[in-house]
Amino acid sequence: MHAAIKRTIGIRRGAGLYQAIASAVLAMGTLALALPAQADTVKVGVLLSFSGPAAVFGLPERDAILALQKEVAATPINGHTLQLVFFDDKTNPTEATRGATQLISDDGVVAIIGPGTGGGILAAGPIAERLKVPLLAPAGTVAITDKANSFAPWIFRVAINDQVGVKTLLGGAVKNGAKRVGVFYQEDAYGKFGNDYAQKLAGELGFEVVESVSAPYTATDLTADATKLRNANVDTVFMQVSISSLGASFLKAAQQVGLKAQIYANSGLSQKSFIDAAGPLGDGVHVLSIGNLPYDPTPPEQKLAAILEKNGEHPQGWGEVVGSNGLMAVVAALKKINGPVTGENMRATLETLCGFDTLSMGRACFSKDLHDGWLDDALVVTTIHDGKFRSH
Amino acid sequence: MIEYILRGLLNGAVYALLALPMSLLFSTAGTIDFAVGGYALLAAAVASTVSGPLGLAAGLAAGVAASAIMALVFALLKRAGEAGIRIALASFGLSVALSSFVLLVWGTQPFVRSTYSTFLEVFGLRVSPQGLINLVIALVLVGGVQLLLLRTGLGRMLRAAAASPLAAELAGIAVLPLQCATVLAGGLLSGVAGLLIVYSSGLDFTASLSLTFIGFAAAIVFGIKSPIRSLLGGFAIGIIEALSAGYTSGLVTAMVPAVCILVFLIAAQLLAPNYTGDRP
Repeated sequence: MHAAIKRTIGIRRGAGLYQAIASAVLAMGTLALALPAQADTVKVGVLLSFSGPAAVFGLPERDAILALQKEVAATPINGHTLQLVFFDDKTNPTEATRGATQLISDDGVVAIIGPGTGGGILAAGPIAERLKVPLLAPAGTVAITDKANSFAPWIFRVAINDQVGVKTLLGGAVKNGAKRVGVFYQEDAYGKFGNDYAQKLAGELGFEVVESVSAPYTATDLTADATKLRNANVDTVFMQVSISSLGASFLKAAQQVGLKAQIYANSGLSQKSFIDAAGPLGDGVHVLSIGNLPYDPTPPEQKLAAILEKNGEHPQGWGEVVGSNGLMAVVAALKKINGPVTGENMRATLETLCGFDTLSMGRACFSKDLHDGWLDDALVVTTIHDGKFRSH
Repeated sequence: MIEYILRGLLNGAVYALLALPMSLLFSTAGTIDFAVGGYALLAAAVASTVSGPLGLAAGLAAGVAASAIMALVFALLKRAGEAGIRIALASFGLSVALSSFVLLVWGTQPFVRSTYSTFLEVFGLRVSPQGLINLVIALVLVGGVQLLLLRTGLGRMLRAAAASPLAAELAGIAVLPLQCATVLAGGLLSGVAGLLIVYSSGLDFTASLSLTFIGFAAAIVFGIKSPIRSLLGGFAIGIIEALSAGYTSGLVTAMVPAVCILVFLIAAQLLAPNYTGDRP
């Protein structure tokens, strides 16, 4: 009897155990069916200049990326959840290199939007090549996509090549009668490039560079420089400057010394802060712009402006456009990618992207031979009227 | 050439106002405040934000408030017996901190106020009234400081503290408070420089260290121990910059002032009298 009871209890215990296991399996299966398929997380680095002189571009680039992420990457893209990892390169190529290494090695990013400057991109390029992660570069510095660099296959430009910009701008100046051109440039690689390339284009476009002057970012007085250009009897001044206060200071100096010339400024000054700083002196100044987001936006730019406004940001200039180009290229690559999302696969996929969705002017297109994604159809020569950049 | 010299002179007036606090503090405490550019920048930022004359007052107050931080650091380091080099390095740190603060609060916007749209003719040259205002202010302030040092009791105490802090203490002069007051005066003078730059050419958050360096160059070129030498140093730097911009190629324009300063300093060392040997 006792044994029978024991056997019964054992069976009941055994039955209870089996029941428990069966119930658990059933519950897990039900749960698995009920939950949606988990998207894998893909990390992308944002390595831009949030401090230092290039913060004038880095901050609006970042703001656009943050705003856009909520719109275009809020839900999984092709089964991939996009996660952005931010790093400030402090406008310092050494920091850019460190940032690229950390983002790739520690955070496991499969692409990086950035670094923020040409110098940073050239410094981080070998890292990208060695660790096999593409950089989406928001800079116009010509050298970054120069095929002579071994890392060139890993760099994809999401801004406009400076050569294209200068040629478009000076072409416009010549159409308006520019013959004797003076160049005012800021003392860095960007400025020097503009000066040198203008000299090179002179013969081709039919003008003469009669004088060049330069100043550091933080020059407190430019009257001597303006005097030199005035004395050279220039009819046009080409400004290769990206610092608003420097550009505005030059306009003041030009007025003070009586320099009367048409002024054509490269896209570095296509910033609201330049209009604010220049005040009435800015009227009539021609400024090259990558689109015209704040004042005469095209339909895609209007969408970008709306997204920025929704996120409490007021469109400033082309920084937001270029930042959005970087993120939209990443999104397009994730939509198209086949197989595992690795740096190499991202690079290969980026090279196949053409005519993908963007929020900027022009048709974006990458290929194996062309890593400059946007060309002169993304540019417009604006003129400042009544405190606004007006597209022609 | 006359035009470049005149323009350099007008620009150099602002440099003199950045050099003067460095000269004063070195004379009084044997150290240099490298945050003068930061005070100027903060004053400019605040003045650009608050409109009207109240903006000017607010800007100056901001410059003095920033220098009060340095005065506190100065006092603490002095009490701890630290040498002038540590104080100078601390001031560098403050300069960077002020730049970052301005970037954090104001972002990358430039600080500039409208300038005059009509100009004066001076010896046939177009000159902005702002340039003349800068010159007059610099002359008044430098002259005022020189008079204060030479003709007032406060000036005597400052010179005594500079000559021998120990002897001055023993004579009942409160050396440390005097030195701290000199730091605060530096904040005020740098703030004036910042306001003048806002109304002249404008500046942004990147200007702090470059203003400091240009002030330092103006302070040392003729010797750092005198307000008048600071003024002359400012004029010299301004004129050299203007002539360099006017007559050299863009490739070397920025280098020329630095080379000239180096030449002045080496010449001063070579030409300085050297007495050797003991007294008989």
